Amino acid sequence: MEFLAYMGDVFTPINFGLLLIGTIGGLILGATPGLSPTMAVALLIPFTFRLDATQGLVLLGAAYTSTVAGGAVSAILLKIPGAPANIATTLDGHTMAKKGEGARALQLSFVASAVGGVFGVLLLIFLTPLLAKWALAFGPSHLFWLAILGVTVIGSLDSSSVVKGLLAGCIGLWLSTIGFDDIMGAQRFIFHSSVSGGINVIPALIGLFAIPQVISMFLKGRREREAEVLTVRRHPITEAIREVFRRSRALTIGTLTGSFIGLIPGVGGQIAGLVAYDQSRRMSPESRKFGTGHSEGVIAAESANNAMVGPSLVPLLTLSIPGSPTAAVLLGGLLIHGIFPGSDLFENYPDVAWTFINSMLVGQILMCVFGLLVAGLAARVAQVPNAVMAAVVLGLAVFGSYSVQNSMGDVYVMMALGTGMFFLEPFGLSAAPLVLGLILGPIAEANFIQGKMIATATSSTGAYFFTGLLNLTLIGLVVASVAYSVWMEVRHRRYTTKEDAMVRGETPT
Amino acid sequence: MKTLFAAASIALMGLTGAAAADSAENYPERPLMLMVSYGAGGATDFQARIVTMTAGNEDALGMPMAIVNKPGAGGRVGWNWLATQAEADGYTLGAYNIPHFIAQSIEGGVEYSADSFEPIANWGADPAVFVVGADSEFNSMEDVVAYAKENPGGLTFSGAGLYVGHHIAALQLEKAAGVKLAYIPNNAGGAGAMKAVIAGEVLGGVNNLSDAFRAKEAGNVKILGVFDNERSDFLPDVPTMQEQGFDIDNTSVNFRGVMVPKGTPQPIIDKLAEVVPTMFENSRVADKMKAGGSPMHVMTRDEVIEMWKAREATLKELLAGL
Amino acid sequence: MSDLPRTQHIVASGLIAAVGIGVAYISYTSEPARAFLFPKIISTAFVVLALWTFGKAVLGKTKVGIGLSAEALRNILPGLVVALVYVFWAAQALGFYTASGIAFFLLLSLYDPAPHDAVRTWVKRIIVTAGFVAVMYGLFAVLLNVYTPREIFL
Repeated sequence: MEFLAYMGDVFTPINFGLLLIGTIGGLILGATPGLSPTMAVALLIPFTFRLDATQGLVLLGAAYTSTVAGGAVSAILLKIPGAPANIATTLDGHTMAKKGEGARALQLSFVASAVGGVFGVLLLIFLTPLLAKWALAFGPSHLFWLAILGVTVIGSLDSSSVVKGLLAGCIGLWLSTIGFDDIMGAQRFIFHSSVSGGINVIPALIGLFAIPQVISMFLKGRREREAEVLTVRRHPITEAIREVFRRSRALTIGTLTGSFIGLIPGVGGQIAGLVAYDQSRRMSPESRKFGTGHSEGVIAAESANNAMVGPSLVPLLTLSIPGSPTAAVLLGGLLIHGIFPGSDLFENYPDVAWTFINSMLVGQILMCVFGLLVAGLAARVAQVPNAVMAAVVLGLAVFGSYSVQNSMGDVYVMMALGTGMFFLEPFGLSAAPLVLGLILGPIAEANFIQGKMIATATSSTGAYFFTGLLNLTLIGLVVASVAYSVWMEVRHRRYTTKEDAMVRGETPT
Repeated sequence: MKTLFAAASIALMGLTGAAAADSAENYPERPLMLMVSYGAGGATDFQARIVTMTAGNEDALGMPMAIVNKPGAGGRVGWNWLATQAEADGYTLGAYNIPHFIAQSIEGGVEYSADSFEPIANWGADPAVFVVGADSEFNSMEDVVAYAKENPGGLTFSGAGLYVGHHIAALQLEKAAGVKLAYIPNNAGGAGAMKAVIAGEVLGGVNNLSDAFRAKEAGNVKILGVFDNERSDFLPDVPTMQEQGFDIDNTSVNFRGVMVPKGTPQPIIDKLAEVVPTMFENSRVADKMKAGGSPMHVMTRDEVIEMWKAREATLKELLAGL
Repeated sequence: MSDLPRTQHIVASGLIAAVGIGVAYISYTSEPARAFLFPKIISTAFVVLALWTFGKAVLGKTKVGIGLSAEALRNILPGLVVALVYVFWAAQALGFYTASGIAFFLLLSLYDPAPHDAVRTWVKRIIVTAGFVAVMYGLFAVLLNVYTPREIFL
């Protein structure tokens, strides 16, 4: 309960002021396409030069917390996931917004984020030593199997045909191999100078999700406005809070998956949201409703990606190893003040460490409050006429993908992938599995090669990849996941082929 | 629409006039950009952010310097971009890492060499060190080499990638000790390589002195030797490789500094070469660098040109045997 | 299923399969072979899946996907041309803010259902465009200090 002793420090005027600035600024930055939490935190580092260590970290912690949640805003309203963490949010969240339930989707997402986030930070407070062991348990062979587990999710994600889901996943995996390979440095598939640096995930995300949507807005042509006016339904906040807790299955799965997968260095943060989404769909009796604007989808995805915030800092705070790019940037924020994180951080600088963690805890609540305050207003975005919306999203996509690394090549990649995606969608290929392939490709490949190198030097490849409890557990999960997909596909065929074709036919996007 | 076109043509004329007047005298007129070819949060990125923080001061450049990260493939992505796509107008600068980019250009497959860039100034020198987990049975380099001799090719140790400082250090160690080792390049850079050591995935690792120092302070690793000519001020107790009987010099020391693409106007290079080192010597910068455990080593443009030449020669010799 | 989507399915899946075969060919023939191990595995799966989809399309058994109608394509074309010219040429050549302003205005004019002959419509479109460019400038240039390609007007 040591953290309570330092709770007061969060509420000193300066710290609390910074917390407010960080939270509000973070929500805005997070909602800006192209600004991933890592970028947003890196942009704030120069501001912390002038602050003392505690103040600087309060600002960074608050910003980290709220940029992750802020990403849901553009994911829901514009279908632009600001970071890989928000991909799963678009699947149901944007569908809800299109039905006029944007306010409800945003409220659910903020409440679920806060619940997941608070749980994650509490884990960080109470279970750090245990979590540190878990974070280190994943070596190359385990990360390889984890990536393969992710690949098995691909087949069933946001597509009613497993074969086409896998095909989209393969295209994504191939796209991920473009550029220099990370270990050998060999050049692969560089057919244009824009991709000489490989395909950056963020511009690809923006293009694959936002551009097809822009083009399908053109699809309706110059139609009279009356036909498309959408009533944005108001939604009482208390109702949203009640709904989140009523959907306790999705909330629990999201929070737990986010906390434990988010902890795995280098992998977790990117896929936690999608894995949580997939798991809660599989366990839900209403699994058919997922993807059609079902609240469980939003709750699982958002609780997962905020639950990840606290645990993702465990390797940094205890072992001094940044487990995610954002943690690496936060490490910089600590080092500038001469604070070396490590197992003795809490003994040497308890005031800094605990105030930082407390500020993330309070930040989660503040983020939720501000988010809920503006949710109703923000949801009106759905009422913006099609023509304006298409132009705004296109402009944001261009600026957002350029600002990732000031590169025109990224903008070209964004547009090319997005246009291609638009022409693939009518044929049953969708963006989510493609992006998942793009994310998982490098993880699977690099860890396979590293594992193989270690195995060749020490034991045999077979022994390295196929023995040990963690390996076997992961392999078991992979097998179970594949079996489940096959079973679903077979059952699907028997019962719902016609109905399914009709459902897809009604929603030409 | 007419007025719009009129405005456009006036603006176009204004632009051509402004371009002609654009000389070194009022340089810089707008914010500069420093490309870092490693991800946000890495050692190079972290140090670049500190050493450029005073760029906006009146006694420095008078304009802020924004850091832009172009990570990938051990730095190749960023340097390729700087050599081929960046505008050589004096507003696009890059951070260099020696021996990384020179070693990569010798190995081939990239579009740059030492001749593609003009150095401006050097800010830091971070030697490589050999680390093992805190509970490892190795206590000196002698133990490590003895193990490697018993298990040829069986001593796994991590580093940040191929043809970077860590890899050079590994090659030097192999050559000097006359043993075969299993160098495992990590795709997640120095942090990933360090994690592999602490988690016990590999028996040891080569890593940056600054990162290893931190990990040692946290009680996670032991540092067995420094790949440099002298001991480090941060680690006065850790012997160099030479002291432990291995003929290894400072070739792998990671020098970090600022450069511009070839073709940048000479007056601008001269101006930068004059101002940038003073920026690095600013006391606020030095304090922050020291607090972060990052060894500083300021060198002027002329010194850096010499250093690049010397490195290129030694690296060519070392890599010839591969 | 009518014949139009079926033909479209055959063409689309045929193109994907062709790309897959190209990728596989490069993967199996490039050097160093060590670095192409992973692409070989992926491209093999890619080709198998793409041929499967292609086969189903030829047999007319495709279950999902509704294809694109000619009317839809006609509606899309002008907007798509504006978007492509904006991204691939104008943004770099004219500068981000100028090009964005022009593209934004053109898209509004093309797709906004308000009547073209009313002065109010045009005033409104210009104001909305100016507002958008101003917000973009405030966010990216002022707040985030992103240095976009040089402007012809600035």
